[in-house]
Amino acid sequence: MDPMAPVLSVRGLSVRFLLPRGRRVAAVTDARFDVAPGECLALIGESGCGKSVLASALLGLLPGNAQTAGSALLGDLDLLTADERTLARTVRGRLIGLVPQSPAAHLTPVRTVRSQLEETVATLTATRGRAALRAAAEAAAERAAFPADHLDRHPHQLSGGLAQRAATALALVGDAPLLLADEPTTGLDRDLVDRTVDELRRHVDDPRDGRRRALLMITHDLAAAERIADRVAVMYAGRIVELADATVFFGPAGPRHPYSRGLLRALPDRAFTAIPGMPPELGDLPAGCAFAARCDRATDICAGPPPPGTLACHHPHVPEDVRA
Amino acid sequence: MTCDAPAPAGAPAEPEWRSHGPRRRSTRALRVRTAAVLVAATVLAVLLVPPLVQLDQQAVDLAAKLQPPSWSHPFGTDDVGRDLLLRCVYGLRVSLLVGVAAALTATVVGTAVGAAAGALGGWADRALMRVVDTFSSVPHLLLGIFIVAMSRPGVWPVVISVALTHWLSTARIVRAEVLSLRSRPYVDAAVSGGASRWRVAVRHLLPAVLPQAALAAVLMVPHAMWHESALSFLGLGLPTHTASLGTLIQSARGSLLAGQWWPTLFPGLFLIVPTLALAGLAGAWRERINPRHRSELML
Amino acid sequence: MLELRSITAGYARNAPVVRDVSLSVAPGESVGLLGPSGCGKSTLARVAALLHRPDSGTLLLDGEPVRHWRHRAPRARRTAIGVVFQQARLSADPRLPLTDLIAEPLRATGRGGEVPARVAELAPAVGLTPDLLTRRPHEVSDGQLQRACLARALVLRPRLLVCDEMTAMLDASTAAALVAAVEDYRAATGAALLAVGHDRTLLERWCDRTVHWDGLA
Repeated sequence: MDPMAPVLSVRGLSVRFLLPRGRRVAAVTDARFDVAPGECLALIGESGCGKSVLASALLGLLPGNAQTAGSALLGDLDLLTADERTLARTVRGRLIGLVPQSPAAHLTPVRTVRSQLEETVATLTATRGRAALRAAAEAAAERAAFPADHLDRHPHQLSGGLAQRAATALALVGDAPLLLADEPTTGLDRDLVDRTVDELRRHVDDPRDGRRRALLMITHDLAAAERIADRVAVMYAGRIVELADATVFFGPAGPRHPYSRGLLRALPDRAFTAIPGMPPELGDLPAGCAFAARCDRATDICAGPPPPGTLACHHPHVPEDVRA
Repeated sequence: MTCDAPAPAGAPAEPEWRSHGPRRRSTRALRVRTAAVLVAATVLAVLLVPPLVQLDQQAVDLAAKLQPPSWSHPFGTDDVGRDLLLRCVYGLRVSLLVGVAAALTATVVGTAVGAAAGALGGWADRALMRVVDTFSSVPHLLLGIFIVAMSRPGVWPVVISVALTHWLSTARIVRAEVLSLRSRPYVDAAVSGGASRWRVAVRHLLPAVLPQAALAAVLMVPHAMWHESALSFLGLGLPTHTASLGTLIQSARGSLLAGQWWPTLFPGLFLIVPTLALAGLAGAWRERINPRHRSELML
Repeated sequence: MLELRSITAGYARNAPVVRDVSLSVAPGESVGLLGPSGCGKSTLARVAALLHRPDSGTLLLDGEPVRHWRHRAPRARRTAIGVVFQQARLSADPRLPLTDLIAEPLRATGRGGEVPARVAELAPAVGLTPDLLTRRPHEVSDGQLQRACLARALVLRPRLLVCDEMTAMLDASTAAALVAAVEDYRAATGAALLAVGHDRTLLERWCDRTVHWDGLA
């Protein structure tokens, strides 16, 4: 197999929700991206832009009123058409390791970290026997830099950072080629965000176990994305509007989509000015570019569908603009 | 394969949509619908049959005593020849009345005590909860028996007996709910916005616990019906000439030993089926009011 | 405006989360309080907003010591301080549409008559459109809900705003918009600000003066 073949290949992924009275909510529209081994793709966007729905679709965790279209290939398996049995037995934990948003809520409150790790090891691997499980659990904790002397604690006895490491340790047990981190830094302070993100990054290209994993990180935290990502996908109103190299995106050239530029300009260490207006309702998207109403470059052509490809904009910034 | 394979210009083709999600929804909907139909049938029967059907449930016909089910008496007759179908409907009517009245009383008392304990806190909370503990420390049936034994047989002593033994759980639920809500930032925000204690309780806390309390009341109706039946079965509840499901089952005990199954079976079914249906409906409602299930949309 | 002197506060008797902390905010001044998560800065914010009685220490509001907290505090003092919390979801009563959410302090203080005018004035100031105002909290996004919570904090025209991690859960653009709304209000009224947070870049950009939690004890 080609070592650089993408771990996850998403094509035309759309998700919509059917609501009472015939309402339709287009939560994700025509998403297309790849994640390669040893690569981190950060999916950024504001709350309610559809990025969590995209993650749920990949894990097969959509509610009953959702419909999907397109494909999400993990190896030969299409995650969107796989049945629940396949997803439960071969995908979750084994092919996709989930690093959750609120680790404290993800861990079982009444059991120690050790017992949860051992249970996960027993479920996901062939390890059997008490001593072997114990050793495997300790190894898993060590991989996530979770201190061994805290293994016998309950989740509420852990700090936010340690709870995050415990959850990461659980996500790594199944040795999944794809890690999916859903807002892993929400509510953490800056130092802890940096540490968490650096630790996640280490698992992408881990010199200690020689594994190259793919990491899809969903976040609204641009600073965290800048620190970890190789590539950045910006989501707006359910659509990935720009897919760019992280060094270019955060570098002097900057992003090309007006929305991405607006997001970066809103950072307190940049212009600190908000994008005027608010995003449209996903239940009531315009036929054309969803950002046009807030965009100072919009023209009549923006009322039509945005161009396909990695930059969904009729009037993107070109590098010359930046130098000017 | 490149990433930028251009799509045809113009309006993009409508993608092929696939549905997902757990299949169990449909069987659950069926269950809920069945429960709703059964509860509706019960309510209609007890409300409509007595005024519409001009038959005397007390009509004795000794010539037709202890007849098995037949076309003229679908549920058979009892030991003095009364029609059991009619007796069951009247019995259900009394049992349901007792159940609803007891559940309502218990819920009002329980909500008031629980809300007061939770909202006031401090020594008031401790005192009220010790009262709850005291009541709880006595077995319910024993306490219920004590209360009915102190009074003349009748419907209201049974209602009071059931209510007094059942408000405790509601009080605990409501208190816990109020306590957890009281520490929410939205209560802080209300205090900071100048709201009085009374306004916080009435505008923010009480509306939040009412669905829980109402649910507890509905769940309590079957419970109270069973309690009434147990008391009546022991001969302590309603006078035996008043048809309730408990008295019906009690007076049928003798016939059961003689191989006559219908005087026990039909009142038993009238107790089991509506109470299960009601509990099922209440369970579905609980799922609805649980905030985690409230929004189908997960954004 | 606000002066906290050797405040010790907490939730359990022998385990204070705030120990002997002093801090002051001058009239019209904006102070950023920077500290890691879990350090007790939110508790201090609640003390400053008269929502949590400290175990010891003095709080001076306009030079006068505060003796009563929460409901016991005189209403005029309580409402002189507007508060915005980190989690908009938890700080909004889930049953109230956004209009009522914003108007609640007016109604609670017997000024229901001002509701239409104040809401019409505040909604655009925090960037809420009329169609959002009729929705309930679960029908809007976190950012939209936090905008409503800020409007609620401003509706009684407080002289001091306490913002506890107001933007921590929000995307960059919404965060910048909310900070701009706070600054517009302060520019118009001369209100003071205590902004509590963990993001040094944000607080240093936002506030006149930023103090670190470790330097207060």
